[in-house]
Amino acid sequence: MTTAISRPQLVRSSDRVIAGVCAGLAAHLGWPVRMVRIGMVVAALAGGAGLAFYAWLWIMVPTADENAKRNARRPASPIAPAVSAPGPLPVPADFVAATFPATPFPAGVTYPDGPTLPDGPAFPGSPTQGSPMQGAPVQGAPPWQPGPAPASGSVPGTATSPWFRLRRMPYGKEILLGAGLLLAGGILTARMLGLDVPLGTLIPAAAILGGAAIAWMQLDETRRAGLLDKTKADQAGGWARLGAGLALVVAGVLVMVSGSGSWEQTWLALLASVAVLGGVALVLLPWGLKFWRDLEAERAGRVRATERAEIAAHLHDSVLQTLALIQRRAGNEHDVVRLARAQERELRGWLYRDPGKEAGQLSERIKAAAAEVEDSLGNAVDVVSVGDTAMTERHEALVQASREAMVNASRHGGGTVSVYLEVADGGVEIFVKDRGPGFDPQSVPADRMGVRESIIGRMKRHGGTAVISSSADGTEVRLRLPSDAADNGEGKS
Amino acid sequence: MNNIDTAGAHAGGVPAIRVVIVDDHAIFRSGLKADLDARVTVVGEAGTVEQAIAVIAQTRPEVVLLDVHLPGGLGGGGREVIAGSAALLSSTRFLALSVSDAAEDVVSVIRAGARGYVTKSISGTEITDAVLRVAGGDAVFSPRLAGFVLDAFGTAPADIADDELDRLSARELEVMRLIARGYSYKEVAKELFISIKTVETHVSAVLRKLQLSSRHELTKWAAERRLL
Repeated sequence: MTTAISRPQLVRSSDRVIAGVCAGLAAHLGWPVRMVRIGMVVAALAGGAGLAFYAWLWIMVPTADENAKRNARRPASPIAPAVSAPGPLPVPADFVAATFPATPFPAGVTYPDGPTLPDGPAFPGSPTQGSPMQGAPVQGAPPWQPGPAPASGSVPGTATSPWFRLRRMPYGKEILLGAGLLLAGGILTARMLGLDVPLGTLIPAAAILGGAAIAWMQLDETRRAGLLDKTKADQAGGWARLGAGLALVVAGVLVMVSGSGSWEQTWLALLASVAVLGGVALVLLPWGLKFWRDLEAERAGRVRATERAEIAAHLHDSVLQTLALIQRRAGNEHDVVRLARAQERELRGWLYRDPGKEAGQLSERIKAAAAEVEDSLGNAVDVVSVGDTAMTERHEALVQASREAMVNASRHGGGTVSVYLEVADGGVEIFVKDRGPGFDPQSVPADRMGVRESIIGRMKRHGGTAVISSSADGTEVRLRLPSDAADNGEGKS
Repeated sequence: MNNIDTAGAHAGGVPAIRVVIVDDHAIFRSGLKADLDARVTVVGEAGTVEQAIAVIAQTRPEVVLLDVHLPGGLGGGGREVIAGSAALLSSTRFLALSVSDAAEDVVSVIRAGARGYVTKSISGTEITDAVLRVAGGDAVFSPRLAGFVLDAFGTAPADIADDELDRLSARELEVMRLIARGYSYKEVAKELFISIKTVETHVSAVLRKLQLSSRHELTKWAAERRLL
């Protein structure tokens, strides 16, 4: 059985003729696809066994996509492959049928240490007999081997206690369904062999069991989803399933009690029971509603508490630390301002950031550059942006150039630096303005790389322009980068 | 310009502008009070929506420095104060003061009737200037507010056919752009070769459009926009 874990998972392949069953099976067993397909066709000719098997796998085996989703939802564990390989099937069918009453057995399959489990003395046949895997699904699927009919008697007991074990494991549904089908097959075979099976009681009992199972599964799933995680579709399906389960149980009980008598009698009983159920529901409804509301309130409270804890953690890590730093540096005005600005920026980012807004936008990069300059030089750099665009290589150059402009403005202007970014159809414009004493752009020495190379040269190389105007009131650097279309025309000319 | 006796200091014979500060942080109120210069005098303070409405009705200031986020009332904050003081809007002007840069907050308080918006980080002198400007009937736009306006109205100038409330004229766009770039009104006037008065007219026109435009995108835009 250890080999099962190393096998590729049994999923329906996307390389498919009908539903990808054969390809998936072939991949799982390591056989050629063609062989599996031919085998399937041959089996289909043999009394439709192949068809039944194919349909079974089609229903039970998830597609690769579904499987990925399923695994994402549940903690990954080595058990998945072992179970999705037809769980109970690898072992001989009679063994499965025999152990069905003791449903805990399939649970053994789900445990990582599964291989060690079947040595329990309760199992009649050694599960390791023969080849546990090879071809087992084929021989296991048609469960027409005489299964012990009295299974029905012991099922009610097993349905309760092992259920809680069952529901914790993935594919519990599938296993249960498979077991039910095995049972049905066993009964059918028994009848064919001439054994007298009390169908009159068996069918209602099966209906009750099936209904209860469906309803419970529903409860289980809603609980897993947190009882409130209501996607509309899910909920509708859930109610439908609950209703179906209920109907099955009621019908089963009715038929059993009324002794499968006349239709009229059943109908009357049905009416009466519906009336009783309605009455009970009416009585219990307020209580149920209250319970539900309490539950919702508690849940909301929990969500709030989590939120509060997250906020507290964030404030502690950021704001409180900064405040402590500010107190220690109270003498140094420059440091205090810088700390306060940096903290403000960080907090703002945390409070107002739009999680839906994709990262890597131009405005984001400009803001990051401004923050960097602010941190390193201590003067505030205010960024106002209108419009936005995704980053490209040319925009990278623009960001670099504007960063250089900000550094200059902060260093030589000595006050707040205003940055304005405007993205329009025609291109991107960035203005960096300071209120420093100004300088004469013509008089910048040729060896000063900052302005000449990092700003003007860089913009030119990428098809943009940079204009620097300076007066006694301050200096403004205007960077303009035409959009790609406009640039192509310019670049070629 | 006010016929009520001014208790505050006088600067050059001009009566000081009477101001009420509405902010829920006492520390910030006292700090702001210390920062404002002699051209204005603080005649009242309030920390909640109810207090603010009461104090404004009682003191009838010329300008209310109004925090966007306030406790009390129905949770509407600064907007609610303006709505509650609607009867005084002809004589009392509101200047929004906020740490919040969220477009939603800013645009909503402007649309409620505030004459301008400044961030709390600007200096006392700048706030005083803004108060004087608002008291004089003009609008006060910070670079960020100008940015919001450009973002909301679009950067393309209005066609003649357009509803004039829904687009900015080419000149208004120019003014807004310069303000967004960090230009003062004076610098804008110099740059565009127009008088400061004309700049103020343009800004007031933009403010009016911002307040009155029924352009549905505007509110939606502001609500959706959660940018820095």
